[in-house]
Amino acid sequence: MPDAATPNPGNAKPFLAAPKPFAPEDEASLREALKRCSPSAFESAVQYRKTGNPEHVPAVVIGIIERFVEPDLRIKLKDADDDLRLIEDLGIDSLTMMEIVILVEDVLQMSINNDELRNLRTVGDVKMFIDCKIRGLALPKPTKFLPIEQIAAVMPIQPPFLFLNEASVSSSGANGKYKISGQELFLQGHFKNNPVMPASIMLEALGQLAVLFLLEGATPEPGKVISSSMIYFTGCEGVRAHRVCRPGDILTLSIKPKRMKMPLATFEGAIRVGQEKAAIAEEITLTFGYAEAVVPPPAPAAVEVNGAATIKPTTPSTTPLRAAASA
Amino acid sequence: MPRVFITGLGFITSIGNDAASVTQSLRELRHGLELYPPFQTPEVPVKVAAPVRGFNTTSTDAEDWTFPPGILIKRELLRGMSPHVVYAWCAMQQAIADAKLGEADVSNDATGLYAASGGSPYLMGHMLERMHKLGVMRCSPLGIVASISGAVQFNLVAHFKIKGSSCGFASACASSSHALGFAYDDLALGRQKRMFVVGAEDGNMDAILPFAGMRALSLSTDPATASRPFDTARDGFVGTGGGVVLVLETEDEVLRRGVTPYCEVMGWGQSSDGHNVAISHPEGLGLRAAMTNALRSTGTAPEAIDYINAHATSTPIGDASEARALRAIFQPSGARPAISSTKALTGHGLSLAGAMESGFCALAVRDGFMPGSAHINQLDPECEGLNIIRTTVSQQPKFALNNVSGFGGANVSIVFKQVR
Repeated sequence: MPDAATPNPGNAKPFLAAPKPFAPEDEASLREALKRCSPSAFESAVQYRKTGNPEHVPAVVIGIIERFVEPDLRIKLKDADDDLRLIEDLGIDSLTMMEIVILVEDVLQMSINNDELRNLRTVGDVKMFIDCKIRGLALPKPTKFLPIEQIAAVMPIQPPFLFLNEASVSSSGANGKYKISGQELFLQGHFKNNPVMPASIMLEALGQLAVLFLLEGATPEPGKVISSSMIYFTGCEGVRAHRVCRPGDILTLSIKPKRMKMPLATFEGAIRVGQEKAAIAEEITLTFGYAEAVVPPPAPAAVEVNGAATIKPTTPSTTPLRAAASA
Repeated sequence: MPRVFITGLGFITSIGNDAASVTQSLRELRHGLELYPPFQTPEVPVKVAAPVRGFNTTSTDAEDWTFPPGILIKRELLRGMSPHVVYAWCAMQQAIADAKLGEADVSNDATGLYAASGGSPYLMGHMLERMHKLGVMRCSPLGIVASISGAVQFNLVAHFKIKGSSCGFASACASSSHALGFAYDDLALGRQKRMFVVGAEDGNMDAILPFAGMRALSLSTDPATASRPFDTARDGFVGTGGGVVLVLETEDEVLRRGVTPYCEVMGWGQSSDGHNVAISHPEGLGLRAAMTNALRSTGTAPEAIDYINAHATSTPIGDASEARALRAIFQPSGARPAISSTKALTGHGLSLAGAMESGFCALAVRDGFMPGSAHINQLDPECEGLNIIRTTVSQQPKFALNNVSGFGGANVSIVFKQVR
């Protein structure tokens, strides 16, 4: 396989999916390479190699990941959503990741660079990554993980009214966690001798995650930056609470954008506690505006040098902010 | 100086996969040699080897390997292993159970592990072939870890959470005796309280056959006599593999834990031939000096030694050289210790040899027997005056000595003593 050994120079160069004629010996070596994967992964790989149709790729990738996951954890992949994390949920370490990559390279006849791997944190990241490589599309922005300090640094909302402990933001949505500590002031009165997380606050937490997505995720219009002081709640639809949440519960929040057009952004949101559905909102709509200061001046060269433009200048996590976060 | 004892043993060898079956094979002189299937082709002039039984590690893909019932190794562990690491991993579990060690006894600052192996030429060859054929980035991420000569301690130290001293020794067939010797030193110097000593070899085609090039392997086609140390017709060694683990502990630990040791490790000595890269000194000068050093450092008179497990691998030059060294040490005082080479039964385990035969000495000293030197039809005249026992003697040696010699003329002798 001469082209398998050819290094792919540079990340941006798309992989050309034009398949070589698929010979019987190719099928035999594919069968050998995938002998510990599910039959459907093998079938999908054959189809992909014969047709070059990228629709077959996810089944191959999932089949290969599954093969490297300890048997007792494989059940998680059965009805996995794209947010399933490789390290935390599937126990895949960096060496196993290398094994997965080598097999994917071999089976899909592609080449993946080390620095492209670093940002792959979830099953969705991997599927998206491979799909972009095969279609020759630009790679999406990697999922960004934000601890509480960084969340507090970018959000207009601050403790004690910030209901996110950690969050991850990708181009397709955001996920967050909030643990109900029991120390929240309002729990003293909601309810008398019976602390229950108010559903209105749970909706607020989803809204906050949507705010974070607007500030840290993909901007609807390239080159513009959403102002953190111009985001407000406008409305919501189809909100239902399914489960009483109490101190000690960890809320797992997720939002996905449905529509985004200045000045409105609409999201769907859901909260789980463990595997139990806690609340859903069919629509949460925020209004937003762009920061004026960043309208590009005629000579933007200074921002673009050295490719440093991709590194967004973030507010340093200063001592006052840390203090506020831990207050 | 703290006294040092052997408190646990684990064996995966050609003559048995546990201490009980090894003891029985040694007592009854049952060998582990066979017409080794991978050698039965016209291109291979060597026919006999002594593989371990119950393991199938012929595939280059570790997930294809099969083990004796009851042995289960998770994929994430297995991917960094080669065959000898699997053997050592099994022997390690036996040794830990045998010494009655709990998790905290195994994993602490004062417990270390010294090991020896020749690595895995088999997996190394596979990996390099893959690299040349498919490209540098297609090598298995853990191919190096699994195949270089440190593979055994990399794996065991990580998987058994060893926190004390750890390293590997590379003096070819003297390696695991060096590991034992330096483990003894660490205990005697108070640096550690407990040491695991590990010897391991793949013992498969790629580990054994390269020795054919130097004409060191027996070309015999009869497994029953192919390995015959000290016999006039010996024509080379028979290769073997496996894994052996010894647990060494200080007297304080033995008393604290209330366990009964196999024997005491009195001490050791080493010396080098300074002669030839691969051939023993004809007069056995280095081995003679190693025995002298071992006896002197342990304060043992030559006549106190009851049993010697000789290095004798069944090569014409090596066995004669050792015979001369033994005569030089023991004949002046008229001492006639019983001498045997258990390699007649096991074959030659290379890096594994020192640990394996030290383990045999521990069994002999505790259980009260001296295994015979099997397969001698006509004794080499070089051995005249030496008490080479051809059958097992049911008598408990009070002091036993183990010899090894490796490439480069490295020689190690270790003295073991009965526990009262």
